[in-house]
Amino acid sequence: MHELSIAQEILSSARAALQPYPGARLERVRVAVGELTAIEPELLRFAWEALLEGTPEAACDLDVEWRPAQQLCATCGVPKARPPRGWLPVCGDCGGPLRVDGGQELDLLQVSFVVPDGENGHERDD
Amino acid sequence: MSETIDPRQKILAANAAAAAALRSSFAAAGTLVLNLISSPGSGKTTLLEATTRRLVQRLRLGCIEGDIATERDADRLRALGIPAYQILTGGACHLDARQVHRALDEAVFPPLDVLFIENVGNLICPTSYDLGEDFKVALLSVAEGDDKPFKYPAIFARAEVTVITKSDLLPYTSFDLDAVRRQVTTLNPDGVLLATSSRTGEGVDAWCQLLADRLAGKRRQPA
Ligand SMILES: Nc1nc2c(ncn2[C@@H]2O[C@H](COP(=O)(O)OP(=O)(O)OP(=O)(O)O)[C@@H](O)[C@H]2O)c(=O)[nH]1
Ligand SMILES: [Mg+2]
Ligand SMILES: [Zn+2]
Repeated sequence: MHELSIAQEILSSARAALQPYPGARLERVRVAVGELTAIEPELLRFAWEALLEGTPEAACDLDVEWRPAQQLCATCGVPKARPPRGWLPVCGDCGGPLRVDGGQELDLLQVSFVVPDGENGHERDD
Repeated sequence: MSETIDPRQKILAANAAAAAALRSSFAAAGTLVLNLISSPGSGKTTLLEATTRRLVQRLRLGCIEGDIATERDADRLRALGIPAYQILTGGACHLDARQVHRALDEAVFPPLDVLFIENVGNLICPTSYDLGEDFKVALLSVAEGDDKPFKYPAIFARAEVTVITKSDLLPYTSFDLDAVRRQVTTLNPDGVLLATSSRTGEGVDAWCQLLADRLAGKRRQPA
């Protein structure tokens, strides 16, 4: 169950990203998870809930964007339609070999947060 | 008021930074580093024992063992005369780069030609964690079945080398080596596949040759 470690990394990265906004509370975090990262979105969401349970940020949602890998024809370079989580042996059009592209994403995309009233503004470096 | 920012960063950025630091120190030392990943009991330690017996006179070998509990695997390699450090993860299902960094600080290995990092027995969790290795090795034993690459695509897509272990068991199973080869090639067209038996020694020379070639290749590269 490494999804818990991944959830912890997401949480600490998201919190680090909020450092310029004193008092900010996490509201929603969006991540991209590739098919070839060995991370299951469903387990990641469970881990996220377990991690935040009982904290002031327990209501913070985790949106997981699933990024499937693509199989491209090595000859014509065109992505071929593959069944979900299934793999094509060769290019259906020319019979040539396929290469695998993408599916390695494991990215923090977006962090939404609220700054409570009374916290006057935020300083940014830029 | 609700606000949104787009950090666009790697979730495992901290691990990636630790791995990059390890990679440059391994490059400076000229040490070839392998990260061995497989299910429990696929024969990682036994292959390292067979490898050590063949190479210990020629190359300076060392090993970091990752397990949830016991010093058993490190002891097996120390018994063959190479330095080995046991990381006990206490339940965690994978090694990360910071653990490897701490292990190297504590172990104080002599200069090494090849460092083997045997990950915690698990075909899934170790996949995403870069340990600063030159390449990952996925091991799959004949008894586990020939459908595994497509069932666990992440590791077989990433491992530069796949080693089929326990090839001496092929006559007793319906394991189809060509089917595995096709799956691995589909996921990883540039991947190398070797079949080995640590029991009979089949394929172990080819595996040792691969290590020697990769080490020579690394030493030729400007660090
Ligand atoms: N027949 C046969 N058995 C083997 C071979 N290699 C290993 N074994 C047996 O498989 C079992 C597990 O081997 P290990 O080398 O301990 O496996 P491991 O992958 O290191 O296991 P963990 O560290 O627990 O994940 C032992 O009983 C070995 O004797 C082989 O080539 N042929
Ligand atoms: Mg072992
Ligand atoms: Zn084609």
